[in-house]
Amino acid sequence: QRILCLPRSFEYSQKNAVLVPVAALGVGGMLVYWLRSRHKIKTLEMGDGWWGSGERPLKGKEDESIRPFKIETSDKEIEDLHHRLDRARYAPPLEGAAFHYGFNSNYLQKVVAYWRNQFDWRKQVEVLNKYPHFLTTIEGINIHFIHVKPSYVPHGRAVQPLLMVHGWPGSFYEFYKIIPLLTEPAKHGLAEGDVVFEVICPSIPGYGFSEAPHQKGFNTVATARIFHKLMNRLGFKEYYLQGGDWGSAITTNMAQMLPQSVKGLHLNMVFVAIQGLGRMISVMLGAYAPWLVGLTREDVQRVYPFVQKNIYNILRESGYLHIQATKPDTAGCGLNDSPVGLAAYLLEKFSTWTDDSFLDKDDGALESKYSLDELLTNVMIYWVTSSIVSSMRFYKENMSKFPGPAADPRLGVHVPTGIAAFPQELAHTPRIWAKDIFKNIVTYSYMPRGGHFAAFEEPKLLAQDIMHFVRKVEQL
Amino acid sequence: EFCSSLAGIMLLEVFLVLGTVIIYFLLTKKKEETLPFKEGWWGKGQKPDTEEDTTIRPFKVETTEEELSDLFRRLDQARFTEPLENSCFHYGTNSVYLRKVVSYWKNQFNWKKQVEVLNKYPQFKTKIQGIDIHFVHVKPPRLPEGQSAKPLLMVHGWPGSFYEFYKIIPLLTDPASHGLSDEHVFEVICPSIPGYGFSEAPHKQGTIAASVFYELMLRLGFNEFYTQGGDWGWLICTNLAQIAPNHVKGLHLNLASVTNMGFTHLLSVLLGRYLPGLFGFQEEDVRRMFPFLEKGLYRILLESGYAHIQATKPDTVGCGLNDSPVGLAAYILEKFSTWTDLEFRNLEDGGLDRKFNLDDLLTNIMIYWVSGCIVSSMRFYKENLQKGLGTQKHERLTVQVPTGIASFPNEVMHTPQAWAQKKYTNIVSFHFMPRGGHFAALEEPQLLAEDILQFVGKVEKEQLWRKK
Repeated sequence: QRILCLPRSFEYSQKNAVLVPVAALGVGGMLVYWLRSRHKIKTLEMGDGWWGSGERPLKGKEDESIRPFKIETSDKEIEDLHHRLDRARYAPPLEGAAFHYGFNSNYLQKVVAYWRNQFDWRKQVEVLNKYPHFLTTIEGINIHFIHVKPSYVPHGRAVQPLLMVHGWPGSFYEFYKIIPLLTEPAKHGLAEGDVVFEVICPSIPGYGFSEAPHQKGFNTVATARIFHKLMNRLGFKEYYLQGGDWGSAITTNMAQMLPQSVKGLHLNMVFVAIQGLGRMISVMLGAYAPWLVGLTREDVQRVYPFVQKNIYNILRESGYLHIQATKPDTAGCGLNDSPVGLAAYLLEKFSTWTDDSFLDKDDGALESKYSLDELLTNVMIYWVTSSIVSSMRFYKENMSKFPGPAADPRLGVHVPTGIAAFPQELAHTPRIWAKDIFKNIVTYSYMPRGGHFAAFEEPKLLAQDIMHFVRKVEQL
Repeated sequence: EFCSSLAGIMLLEVFLVLGTVIIYFLLTKKKEETLPFKEGWWGKGQKPDTEEDTTIRPFKVETTEEELSDLFRRLDQARFTEPLENSCFHYGTNSVYLRKVVSYWKNQFNWKKQVEVLNKYPQFKTKIQGIDIHFVHVKPPRLPEGQSAKPLLMVHGWPGSFYEFYKIIPLLTDPASHGLSDEHVFEVICPSIPGYGFSEAPHKQGTIAASVFYELMLRLGFNEFYTQGGDWGWLICTNLAQIAPNHVKGLHLNLASVTNMGFTHLLSVLLGRYLPGLFGFQEEDVRRMFPFLEKGLYRILLESGYAHIQATKPDTVGCGLNDSPVGLAAYILEKFSTWTDLEFRNLEDGGLDRKFNLDDLLTNIMIYWVSGCIVSSMRFYKENLQKGLGTQKHERLTVQVPTGIASFPNEVMHTPQAWAQKKYTNIVSFHFMPRGGHFAALEEPQLLAEDILQFVGKVEKEQLWRKK
């Protein structure tokens, strides 16, 4: 009957000719709006801040000049260091302890002997100054950064701006070996070089030559905002980000804050909380049926035995984090006064976080992957700037709300993301877990070797992965 | 960094430990076992074949001009970092206050005079299990008719020393002169834990203090004695009571931690505020413990960073402190502030001169400095905690020796009697002290002495040690 009625409905077609399209538009429009608003990305609020001494000045605009900067030293600085090294007091290690109680003081004495007699700080300062340094004032404090442009750009090739952020106990200096691979890939035998970068490596406020905040509350969100302002001030509208350690948290916040400015986010370390019943179940099942919970064979090797690798290991290695997140001024006080103490504290990480089998070695196998010159240069950056205490405060500022960090992980990260998973990193995050936060993983690579200080230890591997990631993003 | 992962993991570890303990609880009945006496060799290299030298040699603390001028040079060249605005002691020791301390240290503190103060009590050294053990031994100046001095072993903790007892010793060896009853008079022995102060540090890995002190008391000719302790002294004295219950007449503690937590503890934490009677909580217990998240969990997390790093990387964290007296002072003073009263974190000077004087605080710090023992003192944490809480044998064994507990209100975490009596099955006295914190002997010597005296009074009156 209805079908028989149809011919009659065409009699009203003129009315329907108006109503139906309008209704369709209306419904269609609502559908489109609903679909789009579901995917509308919530961003991290940018906010604002003031980190200088005292009250923020009411009048006057901030000085936005970018001033060239050179690291300097003096006889006085070097002599003072030498005196302290000469007078260092050591406590002998326990028999057979290797690095299991921390930095072995027998080996430390050898390091200090080198530092006193062979390490040439003036020469290292020249090495540091080989890239152009700058200072600029943002939110009341001086931000230090290096800015390296490629010396030669092939015709028609675009130069990608890349912001690389260090962590603790590192510095901008960790990137010195990888920078040339990114600014001049062809010269270093890296793939055809269809991606070329200009690299900006700032120092996190409170680290190295960046001024330390004078106010409480300076966390990764504030850092992210300041670094966006920096890139903006340098004239960049869109850029790539790369980071590990704190650099990973900061660049992740940057991607959550202004996704439209972030072309891609590359991380060599990823934090995802092992929270939630679902995650715990997948951890337990994953040991027996990894494919069921999306874990690969490589994941299984790196994640299990779970309690050993993710609980005992982390508890054993996170004492520094616990004390720095609660009493940074106490923890850093002696280290700012004793260069030997500072070296022991920082270099222990370069040993253990590079490969945890180094704990069994009397010398922490430090020199198997790094040279004393480069390790001590990093230590000297903390020493000559007296920044150890402010660097530690960053831990406390980021634990303002127990248990999580300041940023809201529920926001997710939607910019194209590349993850380089190094085998000796402190904890392994499988892709399936990373996807909880990183919604747009473009590349995920199991790196063949390397630990926490990827840029420092395996610059070529890291550079290759960054380029592989950027190439994919650019083609998308 | 590991922010949420760490917290998540810590919570998971808490639950794992609880779970393991539940299993232990179900599978093993708490036996009235003793802890075995540990025989060992802690000296350098191999144990020699010759008989150990068991002589007791008199000892005096000494100093030299060189030691002093080296210290002053380091104080002069100290590098400080400005604190954040309005941070008081929330980020640790405030460096503005620290500068004042250093200035006093340089200009007014008289180490030579303090050395004389240290030497006013007779000190000795003797070799036990391969290492030199230092101790103070003070006998009463006079004894009432027909009385004999009762031996009392008092054990310090970290970051304290034998010096913490210098104010309380006269109250115990000569109570009559200090307005206290002389019904019981003590001869006091205060050793330094191996690796602390003037006791030699062990050269080998492992834990030893209780066995070593037991041997010390036997060597001094004491067959029966009382023990008193707080902080690590709590653990060492407890272990001693577990090793040699027939020799320990009474155990007095100003800290009674319970590390072996089980399901009932969890339940009492969740419900104890609402049903205190059900769990044996008194009103004062509830006042001190709840809200539990704030006064229990968060407080422990906020204040245990030092224990975490010392239990894992003592050689790293101690290194700089052995080289920078200012760093050492900052590290130790923070504890004397916060553990005396948590409210002191809100003060710019950490409230340090409200309860202590700088001479005493600096003397304690100087003991760590001149003996270079900060690293070995920290290793004690690793030796005792590295396998985690609730995993060691002594934690599962109970204590049957008559026990007295003085519970000070400002101790970082409160242990109610209901929990303590699961481990200390023979609690003779348990008192809520009216004031005072962690460093009871130094801060409130009179209160602590009174509590020790009343405890010993009870034990002696009823000859309780015979009834074990």
